[in-house]
Amino acid sequence: MWSYLSKRILLSVMIVFLAILALFITLHSIPGDPVSIALGPRATPEIQAEYAARMHLDKPLYHQFAIFIGNVARGDLGKDLFSNRSVLLILSEQLPFTIILAITAIGWSALIGIPLGCLSAVKPNSIVDRITGILSVGTIAIPSFLVSIWAILIFSVGLKWLPVIGAGEPGDIGDQIYHLILPAFAVGLGWVGYLARMVRASMLEVMSENYIRSAHAFGLKRRTIIFRYALKVAILPTITLIGVGFGALLSGTVFAEIIFSRPGIGKIIYNMVLARNFPVIQGAVLITIGMYVVVTLISDLLVSLLDPRVRDTL
Amino acid sequence: MSEIPFKARLIRLGSRTKKPDRTGVPFEKLILFSRNPMGVFGLILVLIVVISAVFAPIFATHNPFALDIANRLAEPSFDHFFGTDQLGRDTYTRVLYGGRVALQVAAIGVSVSLVIGLTLGMIAGYGPPWLDNILLLVFDAVRSFPTIVLALAAVALLGPSLSLVMTIVIITSIPGYARLARTSTLSLKNTEFILAGQSLGASMKRILLIHIMPNVIGPLLILAAMDVPVVVTIEAGLSFLGLGVQPPTASWGTILNEGYLIIRTTPWIVIAGGIPLILTTLGFTFLGESLRDVFDPRLRKGN
Amino acid sequence: MQTLLDIKNLNVDFRTPLGRVHALRDINLKITKGKIVGIVGESGSGKSTIIWAITQLLAKNGIIESGTAEFENVDLLQADETTMMSIRGEKISMVFQDPMTSQSPVHTYEQQMNDIMYRKSNLSAGEKKQKAIDMMARVGIPDPESRIKQYPHQFSGGMRQRAGIAMSMLMEPSLLIADEPTTALDVTMEAQIIHLIRKLQKETETTIVVVSHNLGLIAELCDEVIIMYAGEILEAGNVEDIYYNSGHPYTKALLECDPAREIENTRKLPVIPGDIPDLHIKPKGCVFASRCNFSVEHCHSKKPTNQRVSSNTHMAKCHLLDPVFSQSTAQLKPRVQQVPQVTGQRFINKNEKHFLEVSNINVQFPLMGKVKATFKRVSNRFVDAVVDASLTIERGETLGLVGESGSGKTTLGRAILGLVDTKSGSAKFEGVNLCTLQQRDFKPLRREMAMMFQDPVGSLSPRQTVKSLLIEPFKIHNIDKNLEEEAKRLCDTVRLPENFLSRYPHELSGGQARRVGVARALALNPKLIIADEPTAGLDVSVQGEILNLMNELQDEHGIAYLIISHNLPVVRHISDKLAIMYLGRLVEIGNSTDIFNNPAHPYTEALVNGIPQPDPRKRRKLLSIEGEIPSLTNRPTGCEFHNRCKYAQPKCKVDIPKVKFLPGGRQVLCHFPLNV
Repeated sequence: MWSYLSKRILLSVMIVFLAILALFITLHSIPGDPVSIALGPRATPEIQAEYAARMHLDKPLYHQFAIFIGNVARGDLGKDLFSNRSVLLILSEQLPFTIILAITAIGWSALIGIPLGCLSAVKPNSIVDRITGILSVGTIAIPSFLVSIWAILIFSVGLKWLPVIGAGEPGDIGDQIYHLILPAFAVGLGWVGYLARMVRASMLEVMSENYIRSAHAFGLKRRTIIFRYALKVAILPTITLIGVGFGALLSGTVFAEIIFSRPGIGKIIYNMVLARNFPVIQGAVLITIGMYVVVTLISDLLVSLLDPRVRDTL
Repeated sequence: MSEIPFKARLIRLGSRTKKPDRTGVPFEKLILFSRNPMGVFGLILVLIVVISAVFAPIFATHNPFALDIANRLAEPSFDHFFGTDQLGRDTYTRVLYGGRVALQVAAIGVSVSLVIGLTLGMIAGYGPPWLDNILLLVFDAVRSFPTIVLALAAVALLGPSLSLVMTIVIITSIPGYARLARTSTLSLKNTEFILAGQSLGASMKRILLIHIMPNVIGPLLILAAMDVPVVVTIEAGLSFLGLGVQPPTASWGTILNEGYLIIRTTPWIVIAGGIPLILTTLGFTFLGESLRDVFDPRLRKGN
Repeated sequence: MQTLLDIKNLNVDFRTPLGRVHALRDINLKITKGKIVGIVGESGSGKSTIIWAITQLLAKNGIIESGTAEFENVDLLQADETTMMSIRGEKISMVFQDPMTSQSPVHTYEQQMNDIMYRKSNLSAGEKKQKAIDMMARVGIPDPESRIKQYPHQFSGGMRQRAGIAMSMLMEPSLLIADEPTTALDVTMEAQIIHLIRKLQKETETTIVVVSHNLGLIAELCDEVIIMYAGEILEAGNVEDIYYNSGHPYTKALLECDPAREIENTRKLPVIPGDIPDLHIKPKGCVFASRCNFSVEHCHSKKPTNQRVSSNTHMAKCHLLDPVFSQSTAQLKPRVQQVPQVTGQRFINKNEKHFLEVSNINVQFPLMGKVKATFKRVSNRFVDAVVDASLTIERGETLGLVGESGSGKTTLGRAILGLVDTKSGSAKFEGVNLCTLQQRDFKPLRREMAMMFQDPVGSLSPRQTVKSLLIEPFKIHNIDKNLEEEAKRLCDTVRLPENFLSRYPHELSGGQARRVGVARALALNPKLIIADEPTAGLDVSVQGEILNLMNELQDEHGIAYLIISHNLPVVRHISDKLAIMYLGRLVEIGNSTDIFNNPAHPYTEALVNGIPQPDPRKRRKLLSIEGEIPSLTNRPTGCEFHNRCKYAQPKCKVDIPKVKFLPGGRQVLCHFPLNV
């Protein structure tokens, strides 16, 4: 078990390393002066000089890369062009908001989607199943940013129930939750359908397996069969897919942050793109890669915890 | 090592089959499809969207670029079905023309990604394992990365434009097709009929083109149908953020953008921009789903 | 003699898109307590349907039209779900056909067995665990305390079936139902499981019902036998009566067709021609009438009733047994198909140079990539699938390549055809070494050699019609001929109606697909055909058809065959020579009759003796072989068979034996060959 864990972590570190390498190569492949590419046209000569010195641009490429990696490892992602604050600091202020939104969205959609999918599978072609089916396809199809906009239209402008802008007063949990409702709803809605369908398909496939028939033949209780035998296996591909679909979720989160003017990684990137504040953008891309790697790592580990067959393959 | 296979399934020799004697009813699939209400509904929606986009000039009531400042922010009326925007342009017409942009992106984006994805996927599946591993890593990395972040970074470097959006759309769509093609190819690679072809002396090119591709392309076409909504959404989303189509060209995304800014006072623009988007996404998704059910019920199991 | 289970008037239908299939009609049977009862039937007989019906586990489209099944004062067909749940696993338990898929892959055996024992609330967790361990030990699983914590995928096939039996016996059921318990297992494992079931039955006196198509299995195990055909019970009696004194023409014919029954080699195998009737329609007369050699007008129009055959416990449903008719059954000679008994070999030119000469072929497969191997510090990352294999085939000869799973027989076949790379060795076809040929030069030779694949439908490209499949060989080799005519000619050769040319593979039955495979192999008039498991999945009564066809083609065209099979009883009849493989090596080669009657290698002897004989008087008292086939990655030292060999001596553990040439063209890989 531990050997699997360590191998998996090693693999993740390698992926991050490769991603940073790719980023580095991209930056240095674009024709032009590396300094102005990295810093953009708005950088002042002083900032440019400091960057050149810090990155030892006179040294050979692999040395530069080593310095780059070293900086990233130490947490030095450069400095914001205008405020000169550390990029890492800026991003770490914004990150929690994004994480909270993402987790809340996954949380509520899983709480509704997974049981719905399970119920549909256990009673196929019933009313529940048919309605769930149509709703699932419907919610998957509608773009999440559109949901955000229309949700604002209905609940904020029309009914005036919920706020539009911001994340709420810092320190006031209630207010923050109040501000969280609409964005989390918008981001998570598509996932309800996605998860429900995934779980349904997976459960149906598992329920037709021979070992489920054996369990019936041994007289096990229906509840035991559904939850211990079927769901345990059926949930595995769903967990993997959450890991894979996380990128899409982040996209939705970014849109939500922009539309609702919430603080977060997405909002920051958007603002910085308009301002052409390159160091922050680069740092944000790196953080995003990091998040994706962590999430897939967690989902893979969860799967291996539940499925003994996986442990033997790596 | 595998135990003795096929002992378990007893099949009979002889002239009579257990299965019905189907010599292939023509239009069988069509009949099956027509029995599926969701699919028919989807097809109708798709037709509405496509026809209205292709024949936009015929259905339009005004010139999409014509300004009419005096009449700006007008409410929906007989003259302007969806009202006017802040520059007095007819929203309904702009929506129709926006459909053209969407369809253009969809058509080009999907077809290019499909072809490239199919080729790469077949190579990954059929070729040597090291190539497969590398390609797989690349596919997964691109597929899992949030498109919007990629788009934002690209725009930061290269500036916003429709062709940039198209490129991003293509790059992020390819892995989906490639993965599917790869899985199909892999599962076919070891079946006996491929082995049979090899034993007859068929060349690799022949095997790929005649034996593997026809069996692989089916699921990909269905994925294409389901991919259109994704592509259209990406374009609309990026244009909404100002990163894609630039004014004064109308795209559903830019319409939504304009509408969003004035959402408190003029709600109908946001509704008008959103409806065609939903019609397109729902239509193609329903269509793709029912196509999938008809052609390969096994595919219902998911990826 | 109590009756444990009494089934009366059972009728089961299945709803299909094309209407109702009447799968079971008027089933009446009694299971006597304490006995082992066998239900014999071929595919479509409905034998498995009975089991699922009485446990109320039929598929969703199954309907029990009528009937009662009385078991310990409960009518199983009417009982509610709660009652059924309490009966299942506890009073009636099952052993399943395929241990691979019948056990939950994500729970340890301890967990699964614990779940089964949920009803025993009076036992503590520790007591339940002990009970499980005891049961595992009883079925012969070594080191049960630690193995019980393992998952099914960590057990080998034979072990998994033993564990399955352990799980079913846990609650000490009154009735144990075994559904094709050995079908998915190797012959040597089959014998062990039979032995185990007999042992358990003696100890616990459980009543056992065995459902199988394997006549040998039934003869070895059962006290009473029921013969089923197309949804009806045709005959029932005790095992001696059925095998020695059968009353029904179908039973007689079925027994005739079992190749293990024939002592002498026959080149033509008996077959029951025709197919089971379409069960969408309830047959008016006797269900077997259309295929019966002795049917008369009466048989087709009126349903036969149960007639006494030799005693009150031996009944059969046949008009011919009815005293109203004057014919007596003793005069009915079982003429299944008019085939001349051809024994022995045909004339094969031994003076020519060998047609196919395989020398010292070695095939290796990598287990992991080079990178991973250095990472894991594995010294040998290859597994040897075929080791030093040498054999010869003469023109027009049939060689049967026999082995169990992991023997490497399929790999060897594919290596000869160049579908798999060889590490070393040569395969000379008419003098040309195939292993060193470039692809370009190989291509013309492919016209001379062809392969028939194991999976009849899977080996045909799903999107090509039969016609395009048949003409593909011509297209690949750019042969200029009238392709239409060729396709028709090939269809005729394999007796396939011409209208099949426009069909797709998924529209063919297994047998028809096999014929297409034969036709495609024949397309370019090859001189050698390698047939991979040609009878896999075929009923006993029809497997002869494909083999007889191959035989006729051999007589007409002089084709040589290499038949790869695990089914020794069938293969030895139609082969001139036999080659036995074990763990990738050829352990014995020789004339098939001689090998069968006089095996020289202990493994061959074990294989020959391991076949369950369809003859209750020939039950084996001792096991011919113990243990399991070792994993290819963990080969035994010295002679690789030594750890399972009855005659092993110290030398066998240390030295790898060399090939010994014995008189009569025999080759053995053994230090101490038998009977020489």
